Amino acid sequence: MSEQVLPLLEAHDVTVRFGGLVAVDGVSANFVPGELVGIIGPNGAGKTTFFNAISGVQVPTAGRLIAHGHNLTGRGPHRFAAHGVARTFQTPRVFPDMPVAANIEFGLKFAGKRRRKYLFWGDEVGVPWALRDAASILSLIGLSAQAELPAAAITPSQQRLLEIGMALATRPKLLLLDEVAAGLTESEIEEMARLIRRLRDELDLTVIWIEHAVTTLLRHVERVIVLHQGRKIADDTPHNVVRNPEVIEAYLGDEMAEPSAEEEEVAA
Amino acid sequence: MTSRQFLIRDLLVLLAFTGWTLALPFYASEFVVSMALTCLMYVALSSSWGLFCGSTRYLSLATSAFFGIGAYTTAILLGQFSWVETIAIGAGMAVVVAVVMGAAVLHLRGTYFAVLTFGMTELIMHAVTYFEKTVTGTVGRVLTVVPERDTIYLTVLALAVLAVAVSIVVRRTRFGLALMGIGADEQRAQTLGVNTRLVKIAGFALTAGFAGAVGAAMAVRWTYIDPHTVFNPFIGFQTVLITLIGGVLTLWGPLLAAIIFSVLAESLRLQFPQIYLMSLGLLLILCVLYLPGGLASLRGETFKGWWNDSRDWTKDLRRELSGEKEREKQRLKRREKESHFV
Amino acid sequence: MSLTAWLELITSGLITGGIYALVALGLNLQYGLMRILNIAHGEFLMVGAYLTWLVQTQFGLSPLLMVPVAFVLLMVLGVAVHFLCFRRLTATSPNLDVFEARGLMVAFGLMFLVQNFVSWQWGGDLRGYDYLTEPVKFGEAQFAANKLLVFGLALLFSGALIALLRMTLLGKGVRALMQSAIGAQLMGIDTKRLHPLMFGIGLGLSGIAGALLSMAYTITPYMGQPYTVTALIVITLGGFGSMGGALIGGLFLGVIEALGMHFTNPSLKALLSYVVFIAVLLLRPEGLFTRKSRKA
Repeated sequence: MSEQVLPLLEAHDVTVRFGGLVAVDGVSANFVPGELVGIIGPNGAGKTTFFNAISGVQVPTAGRLIAHGHNLTGRGPHRFAAHGVARTFQTPRVFPDMPVAANIEFGLKFAGKRRRKYLFWGDEVGVPWALRDAASILSLIGLSAQAELPAAAITPSQQRLLEIGMALATRPKLLLLDEVAAGLTESEIEEMARLIRRLRDELDLTVIWIEHAVTTLLRHVERVIVLHQGRKIADDTPHNVVRNPEVIEAYLGDEMAEPSAEEEEVAA
Repeated sequence: MTSRQFLIRDLLVLLAFTGWTLALPFYASEFVVSMALTCLMYVALSSSWGLFCGSTRYLSLATSAFFGIGAYTTAILLGQFSWVETIAIGAGMAVVVAVVMGAAVLHLRGTYFAVLTFGMTELIMHAVTYFEKTVTGTVGRVLTVVPERDTIYLTVLALAVLAVAVSIVVRRTRFGLALMGIGADEQRAQTLGVNTRLVKIAGFALTAGFAGAVGAAMAVRWTYIDPHTVFNPFIGFQTVLITLIGGVLTLWGPLLAAIIFSVLAESLRLQFPQIYLMSLGLLLILCVLYLPGGLASLRGETFKGWWNDSRDWTKDLRRELSGEKEREKQRLKRREKESHFV
Repeated sequence: MSLTAWLELITSGLITGGIYALVALGLNLQYGLMRILNIAHGEFLMVGAYLTWLVQTQFGLSPLLMVPVAFVLLMVLGVAVHFLCFRRLTATSPNLDVFEARGLMVAFGLMFLVQNFVSWQWGGDLRGYDYLTEPVKFGEAQFAANKLLVFGLALLFSGALIALLRMTLLGKGVRALMQSAIGAQLMGIDTKRLHPLMFGIGLGLSGIAGALLSMAYTITPYMGQPYTVTALIVITLGGFGSMGGALIGGLFLGVIEALGMHFTNPSLKALLSYVVFIAVLLLRPEGLFTRKSRKA
């Protein structure tokens, strides 16, 4: 039986205004199942605000958000979570006093639960095997050893992994990752990127990834959206985006003036 | 101890407590029973308050409002309805008011919420006063139908035990987890799928229901009630104080504190009522500053921690007085200057 | 109603309003600057009143003299209270929400402590003394001299505070801190010294209010709480952190109350003031008199 490929999430002309400041200015984008999309842009471009809008944390001033055909504009974050949108926060927001395993179980018990369908002998249908319980999620992100520690006691980079784990516990279809590689070394960023690709491949997800480590991101994603001062200025493959004159100008030639040899090679 | 062992322990303690308080009227004096009644009232009020306000950290000062609503229900309806029915209706009315209040107010946090609930309590009191004066033409109400002392005692005991039992159960359910999540990081909990609005209103309604039921039951102790007695904000304040001092996140803290304070209150009330209240205030300040988890969180490590803290403080003070701090500062300054010449 | 009667009514409203403004300014200073919602504020007003009464009855000193003395005494008390009770909170609270909640609870405890201490020492009966009770005439209208004095001094001190905040360097520092704590600290403004000082000044103001009140009204250990509640309503109407709003709001509320008392019965007035209070908190939490400029 074939399914009509409905976009997972459609953002139509999303605008977010704070008083006089326009943080997101009429951004439209559709996301289909299985994509690995990167969002980049200079500081203040509105990337996190856009995330806030498409996860329900921020009600947009204008525009529409449709998930799987359901209009979710103006609904709260728990409705978005129920429709399979999960996100991480730039600074990890874990529940500090609860043990790591309990942090994961939280998502499993709420949004994660709603999306389960049982066959009559108690097995879950439609949920990836790797997300079946807290223990398997912990081993997926590599935090099994820390399961009983209070979340406040683990290192910040471990907390970042926990953030991802908590988001995965909601059994999402769309995973929003906000600068999960901030402050990591080159090799760590590479590892993170590979983890993200694995998650997308094994768990049947769509991943949208905001990142400042632009070179690494460009190596791993298939599609890049560039935001600048709240507007979308590019939405294309990495290969084309690095050659886009508007994008180059926005970054003032910092990282992207000359496409490096490896970018050429990967994007080709 | 595993979770199951905790559960068994809690239930056993509750059972023992129930048995003991049940037997009390048979062998204790009138005075002790009266004290036990006040104690049980505050056990019910604090346990149910802590259930919602403790985990979500929304400090509600509306307990007096719900108490008063319950009391007035009894004053008006007892006689037309049976005792149990009246209590239930009292609780029900409180729940209705709580849902309305909650829907309007629960999106605000912290001090705003606390101040608002206080304002609403006063509002309800003045509304009832005005209504009574103008529409029914009375100032207070006399309770004509008064059940036996033992009935009242049993009812309040049942409410107290129920409040503690509900606390024990809720902690282990998804609802309790949602409440804790809201207290830890509300927005995060939302992104993980918790419908915080609904959960908060439900929790708030739960505390209101208990407060209303307790108010309905206790009203018959005063044969004459008026808005100022039953809507007295002090009831709410004392509930909050007891729960905070006992330990707002714990199960047995409020119960412990309620017992201690009832004893203190009754023994000091006749001669030194102000000293009782002063000690309440002082204890609260000390708890918030040095023991935020309340009395129930006292452990061996807490005392060690205090000992170390005070030792460090005196050491620091000695250093400062002996001028060593000054000398160190000068040494650092000199070293800095020298490094400039390098 | 005759013009004189109107005048008397509005003036009596302004007089109580002046006191409200004074108390509200102090509360506002503490909350706007330090996020400490001091609900024990009214109790310190009561302390100021009792001190003045004590001095007047024991030593015969004029209450006018006590006004600055009350200010100084309560300011010192305020610094001590801040040092003992609130300083530790800044160090141990993980975030602002928790700090505010804990501050509120400490203030709660203080309220119980202070109120009952006074009640224990001096009993719960009404006390008072006579001072300048001769009436003063303006045309046909008659006012008690002491009440006029109270009004004048209340306005004077309110104005002085606002001037202090607008014109002195200290005041500018305070206002900077209110707008952006971190920015101000980066500029070198020392919060460790400033906070206790400002807390003390806030309490000092309520001490003055208490001293003034004792001149014209009777005092009881329980007189403080209604003033705290009213001050809360005033700063809600005027906007948390807005000094001018607190002043105007206080006067405004005083007049409204006087009119309300006169034309309707007291319960309805109380009812209406709470309705307004809650409505403002829900619909326009930044206050009626501020410009809607701030956004989180």
